[in-house]
Amino acid sequence: MAQFKRKRRLFRRRKICRFCADSSLAIDYKDPRTLRFFTTERGKIIPRRVSGNCAKHQRQLTTAIKRARTIALMPYAATLSHY
Amino acid sequence: MRRYETVFIVNPELSEEQRQPLFDKLNGLISGDGCMLVKFDEWGPKKLAYEIKRHARGYYVLMDFCGDGSLVREIERNMRLDDRVLKYMTVLQDTAVDIEAVKDEIEAAKEQESKSEPAEQAIGESTEKEESGLTGTVGAPASETKAPENTPETREQEEQEHGTI
Repeated sequence: MAQFKRKRRLFRRRKICRFCADSSLAIDYKDPRTLRFFTTERGKIIPRRVSGNCAKHQRQLTTAIKRARTIALMPYAATLSHY
Repeated sequence: MRRYETVFIVNPELSEEQRQPLFDKLNGLISGDGCMLVKFDEWGPKKLAYEIKRHARGYYVLMDFCGDGSLVREIERNMRLDDRVLKYMTVLQDTAVDIEAVKDEIEAAKEQESKSEPAEQAIGESTEKEESGLTGTVGAPASETKAPENTPETREQEEQEHGTI
């Protein structure tokens, strides 16, 4: 079992939370350009296991994205025709 | 006293003169006792991420103020009744604010503005942006407000999403 774990670790790059690494990067619902990094082209929120964010920042990010959606700064569902 | 932030979208087809009475009305609501307007920031026209009441663009305004729940209720009631406002959202920023500290903040913001004005316009805008963390400022609506590029086709949501978060 331990060996298996070690083997897996070899193939995975350790992801770091971008907001923890760079304290100047703020999470704000009024700034859709930053938030867009954490959504797919479709407008879905990228999960933590993919983006590598820590729980705290992912939580803040989710709220921010949802707020931005409410006030039409970000889409609820984007069409793919523009890409 | 609590601190709130309201972002609202005004019909973009209105002219400057038509918008002003609305803004004056909203500011008038906040001028009463036990409440204070901290910032009234017009982001200008922006493309909406989805259509709201058949509009693809909207004129965004940010209102930062102190007050209590009844004030928010009053402001939202006015916005709901007003056809010029397409959509609004109020966010609670702080549950307990010291009014003196907020006054100092307003003073500091004013000072910053007057200082940067004689200097180059671009510098003033960039400092303002850093300070507030916004994408668009009053001075630079056109260049800064390209935000949502993807035009989606979301409809019904706006009806349900009204109100305080």
